[in-house]
Amino acid sequence: MTDHRGAAPPESPSTTLEVTRVTKRFGEGATEVVAVRDVSLRVAPGEIVLIMGPSGSGKTTLLLMLGALLRPSSGQIRLDGAILSALPESRLPDIRLRRFGFIFQDFNLLSALTALENVAIVAELAGASGKIARARATELLTQLGLSQRLHFLPEKLSGGEKQRVAIARALMNDPTFILADEPTANLDSKTGRDIMRLLRSIAKEQGRSIVIVSHDQRIKDIADRVLWLEDGTFAQATEMAVDPSEEAARSPA
Amino acid sequence: MLRFGLRNLFQSRTRLLISVGGVALALMLVLSLDAIFLGMERQLSAYIEGSSADVFVAQSGVRNMHMASSSLPRAIVDRVARVDGVADATPLAYVSTAVLTKNEQYLAYVIGLPPDASLGRPERVTNGAHMVGQGDVVIDGPVARAGVGVGDDVTILGRTFRVVGVSDAYGSVFNSFAFVPLDAFRTYGSDAVSYVLVRAQPGVAPSALAERIEAEVSDVTATVRADFAKQEIKVINDMATEVVAIMNLIGFVIGLAVMALTMYTATIARRAEYGVLKALGVRTARLYRAVIVQAVVTVALGLAAGVAFTLLVAAIVPRTGVQLSLALDAGSVAKTAAFALAITALAAVLPILGIARIDPAIVFRRRIA
Repeated sequence: MTDHRGAAPPESPSTTLEVTRVTKRFGEGATEVVAVRDVSLRVAPGEIVLIMGPSGSGKTTLLLMLGALLRPSSGQIRLDGAILSALPESRLPDIRLRRFGFIFQDFNLLSALTALENVAIVAELAGASGKIARARATELLTQLGLSQRLHFLPEKLSGGEKQRVAIARALMNDPTFILADEPTANLDSKTGRDIMRLLRSIAKEQGRSIVIVSHDQRIKDIADRVLWLEDGTFAQATEMAVDPSEEAARSPA
Repeated sequence: MLRFGLRNLFQSRTRLLISVGGVALALMLVLSLDAIFLGMERQLSAYIEGSSADVFVAQSGVRNMHMASSSLPRAIVDRVARVDGVADATPLAYVSTAVLTKNEQYLAYVIGLPPDASLGRPERVTNGAHMVGQGDVVIDGPVARAGVGVGDDVTILGRTFRVVGVSDAYGSVFNSFAFVPLDAFRTYGSDAVSYVLVRAQPGVAPSALAERIEAEVSDVTATVRADFAKQEIKVINDMATEVVAIMNLIGFVIGLAVMALTMYTATIARRAEYGVLKALGVRTARLYRAVIVQAVVTVALGLAAGVAFTLLVAAIVPRTGVQLSLALDAGSVAKTAAFALAITALAAVLPILGIARIDPAIVFRRRIA
C-alpha cells in the first residue's frame, strides 16, 4: 500500500487521532524549509504506527505536531473530533498531560527525583493527591519489574530501567496515545527487544495507540503499520502486525 | 513542583553552598554595618545614658553634645538648682579636642567636672580613681588602649595632666573620653560651663521638671535624658546616612549578583529538564513556582546564616580587644530581610525569563539523564 500524500490505518471502528493534509514550514522566502508536506494519517485505538525515514525527513517534526508541541502551518490535526491545531496555546499543556504519554530517546528523567517520584509527579501535576499518585506509580513500576528500584535516582539505573521508568511515566495519566521518539536507540539489543515487547503489550492489552519514530529496523516487528517518510512526505506504507513474542516463540534462542 | 524545586536545590550541594554563602556574606555586610552603627550609637550615647542625670540643661536651642557648642554662665547652675523639684545640679564643661601622649594624639571628648560631682562621673573605672583633682585626668577609649595608664602624663589643650584613673565605659573605636577638673577649663579663659546635669527629686517627672526649668531659667533648653541621647544618635545618623546607604547598596548588589548568577546557571543547567516538564504538559507558571521556591529557600538560608555570622562576629570582636561594639536589633534584621526579599524577587526574574523561552521540543534530541 503506497500513498504519497498519506497513509490510512487498517479498518477500525473509531479513529481518535487524525492528521489531514498537514504541512509544516520553517522560515520564509528564500530560507523557507518545508519539513512536513501535505501529510495525512489516522491512528486507530490499539494501533502501533512506526514512522521511519532518513535523518531530516520530517519524522520528529511530525511527532511534535502529533503531540501538540508544534502547530502545523496548514492542515488539521483532530483529537476525538476536536481540531487540536486550532486550540488556544493555553489548553495544549493540559491535553499533553492527560491525553499523551511521551517516551524519549534519552529517557529524559528528572535527575533529582527518584524513579517513583519521576512517575508520580505527572499524576500530581494532573491533580492527583500525592498519596494516590505514589500508589499508582508504585503499581506501574512494579508491573514493569522495577519494584526494587522505586527509590533509586536515575543515575543509579541502567538504560533499560530508565526507559521502563519513562514508560511508566508515559502511562501514569492513562493516556490515549503514546508518542515515542527512538525508544530503543540508547539500549542494547536485548533490552531494546524487551522494551518493544512491552510497548506492544501496552498497545494490545490496554488499547492505547502508539506512534513510534525510529531508525531501528527491529521495531518493525511490533508495528502494525510502518510509514516511510522522505522529504516530508509519506513515500511508503506497509502493514506489519507481527508479534515479536510469537516470532520469538517460533525462533530458536 | 515544590519537591522538584527543593530536590534540584539540594542535589548540587556545591552550587547551594555558593549561593547561600554568597547571599549570607552580602547580607552579613549589610547587617554588620548596621550592627557597627548601632554599636557606635550606643557607645556615643553611653555617657549620656550612664550620667545618672534626668535632665540636661544647655544653652538655648542646644539638645545634644556631639558637634554642638553650649555655653552657660556658671551662675546659672545655682538658678537651676533652686528650681522646685531639682535634687542635684552638676555643672559640666565640654570640648572636643586632642589628647596628646608621648607619641600620639587622640581625638577626645574632654569633660570637666567639679571634684564633688554626683552626676556625670566616669563609670567603670577599671584602674585608679573615679574623681579628678587639680592636674588629674581619667581617660577612656583609644588613649587608654594605647597603653597610657595611671601615673602617665597626657597633654590637653596645652596643659599637662596626670592620669589617675582608666575607664572602659564610653570610648568608641574612634573617640576617647578624658575627665578633667572643671576648674581646668577656667585656665583657658572661660568661666562658663557647657551643660548643667540635673537629677530630679523622687516623684518628680523629668519631663515636667525640664519644662519648669525652661520656664524659670531664661535662655536655656532643658531636655530629658532619653531625648538628649536620642538627639545625640540622630546627629550621628544624619552624618552616617549616606555611608550606610552606599554600603547597603553594595551589599544588596553583591547579594543580588551572586543569587542571580547561581540561580540562572542552575536553571540553564536544568534547561532540558524544564523542557521535559513543559513537553509533558506542565504549565510554565508551575515551573516558575519551582524557581521561586529555590530562590526563597536559598535566600532564607542565606539570611539565617548572615544573621548567625553577624551575631558570631558581634560576640567575638569585643574579645579581640577592639573597642568596637556590634549590636543587632530587630529593625536591622527586618531591613535585611526586606533586602533579602527583594533579592529573591529580582534573582528569580532571569531564570523565569529563561524558562519562558524554553521550547519543549528541545527534549526530543537532548540527553539529560
